Amino acid sequence: MILRRMLAIWISKATCVVCKLAGKQGVTLAGKIALKIDPKILMELSGQVRKKIFITCGTNGKTTTNNLLCSAIEAEGEKVICNHTGSNMLNGVVSAFVLAAKWNGKLDADYACIEIDEASTVRVLPYFKPDYMILTNLFRDQLDRYGEIDITMELLKKAMHMAPDMTLVVNGDDALSAFLAKDSGNKYVTFGIGKQCQQEKENAREIREGQFCKCCGEKLNYHFYHYSQLGDYECPNCGFKRPKLDFDAENVKSGGKLSFDVDNREIKANYRGFYNVYNILAAYAAARTAGLELKNYNKVLADYNPQNGRMEHFHIKNTDVLLNLAKNPAGFNQNISAVQEDDKPKDIIVLINDKDQDGTDISWLWDVDFDRFQDMNAASITVSGIRCQDMRLRLKYVDIPSRLEPDVEKAIRSRIADGTGNLYVLVNYTALYDTHNILKKLEQEKA
Amino acid sequence: MKITIGHLYPDLLNLYGDRGNIQCMMKRCQWRGIEAETLEFKLEDEVDFSKLDIVLLGGGSDREQMIVCKRLQQIQKNFKDYVEDGGVVIAVCGGYQLLGDYYQTDEGRMEGLHLVKLHTEQKPGRLISNIVLKSDLFDMPVVGFENHGGRTDIGDNQPFGKVLYGSGNDGESGYEGIVYKHVIGTYLHGPLLPKNPQVCDWLIEKALERKYGKDIELQPLDDQEEKEANAYIVNRFVK
Repeated sequence: MILRRMLAIWISKATCVVCKLAGKQGVTLAGKIALKIDPKILMELSGQVRKKIFITCGTNGKTTTNNLLCSAIEAEGEKVICNHTGSNMLNGVVSAFVLAAKWNGKLDADYACIEIDEASTVRVLPYFKPDYMILTNLFRDQLDRYGEIDITMELLKKAMHMAPDMTLVVNGDDALSAFLAKDSGNKYVTFGIGKQCQQEKENAREIREGQFCKCCGEKLNYHFYHYSQLGDYECPNCGFKRPKLDFDAENVKSGGKLSFDVDNREIKANYRGFYNVYNILAAYAAARTAGLELKNYNKVLADYNPQNGRMEHFHIKNTDVLLNLAKNPAGFNQNISAVQEDDKPKDIIVLINDKDQDGTDISWLWDVDFDRFQDMNAASITVSGIRCQDMRLRLKYVDIPSRLEPDVEKAIRSRIADGTGNLYVLVNYTALYDTHNILKKLEQEKA
Repeated sequence: MKITIGHLYPDLLNLYGDRGNIQCMMKRCQWRGIEAETLEFKLEDEVDFSKLDIVLLGGGSDREQMIVCKRLQQIQKNFKDYVEDGGVVIAVCGGYQLLGDYYQTDEGRMEGLHLVKLHTEQKPGRLISNIVLKSDLFDMPVVGFENHGGRTDIGDNQPFGKVLYGSGNDGESGYEGIVYKHVIGTYLHGPLLPKNPQVCDWLIEKALERKYGKDIELQPLDDQEEKEANAYIVNRFVK
């Protein structure tokens, strides 16, 4: 068996190298091949993790939370396996373990931090039982692929039942996540933002999921919202309400920089975006629940440099470029808030594709509050990608004119040549990798 | 002139960009100098159909549809009178299914509004794809996206359009949706109206004609961007 495992590891590693040379992302293919050669490989390799296995699920913030958690644990001097690139279906998970394994089929890891696509949890958990599951939030996402949010919740419920000893680390501000935790019978801890911050006004019209109590069907009362349906809720009928928060972020400040207090510590980060409070807090809560100290968390946050299109920074000629993934209404609305925190003049490119991984249904664009682009201090807005026409129309119906340029490289070059020097590129999933590569290439071109 | 749009239960029925349909109707009135307002009804609100010119019934999850369906029974008579009087209705996805006699799902039978003679049964496999129709009401094709597990049988009623690409009512008949008096029921979201300004204007025109009792010719708008977005879908999927 060890020979088979080694063969699987060698061929997968080679596949990945070949794909990289060809400029393709070979991570999922490598995992697929490994599993074909040795169907037990995930079970065996995950069994070699010496301490704990974390998995991260939830609609938004999986990759950032999971990568932060990995960095935080590494800063404690531990060896960690992580699917950094965000390949989060079964093959991507297999790949994370296989590519980290040595040529002799052995794995040298204390911890594993694995993000898993919600619908894939039931396919991954037969291979190993994680010790902790982080559940960041549940929003509507890719209705054509996953169906309604109720279906996603059913799958997660099954996954929780498959691993009854797994402790859940859930967003208590999200009534859907909190309900799942309560309903599962698993042990759980909660994180959240206990008190109201000054977010609500601009989000007043946002689409909110789960407005009705999952326990009894009554409409939930909200004392306040942070954004989307995240907030302080209570059912007037059955008493279901936001649980007591085990990790409560207080004195939250967002803007150019984020800071908040938790556990009598001040946490600081250089990121934009209120939603990152949840990501930073979720990773912290998970690590602390697992008994890690995280004494150097602020240093981890200061050093954390996202390289995967989550607010990734590029400097091209004299233009600062921020690339960010935005793939569903809740994520996009938070992106808009993050861009608004920068009051300097700016150019914006929005790129929308409709490939399978994006979701072929792009009607969600109409659930995003694009009218807020009006108060962005935007000198120009360019729409790009396969469905740029739909995006242009979306903006037309909030009276915002836009330029149409289906080719993203041309769109970026044009804005760098005669833009404000401050460019935001917001893209959905399949556009992320290519856009990232284009920006890298432009960065290396001589001025 | 003024149009009042009633959006039924957006708290529950708000999937697939339904807001876009409202926004489209509002803007296309306002751009022409027609005053427009939208009343959003919550489950507990009374719906006074005499104050409404267009009613939008959108889509929700099966569970949410079930909650709505109970409430709809209580307003069934007034809704029926509104429809028979030529009131304009645009019903999408779940809303379309609710127009009929019933929706039979694996979990049970949902009583419909009995506004139009049609019924729906859930069958294995969802019909999910882009879709293009040719409707007798318009020259321009109708484009959108469909995502439904229910198969709808419209009997002898007039379909909304013939399917040029996609599945339609049941994936077999070759037709999609329904037109009854001034009611359009359809599985098309995307949302439906922005890329199909001809449909939006048909609804507005019928609503104004009913309200003001005279023929209305809407002032043309510059629909270049709408037409290009519509043509993109037609060219991509219809060979």
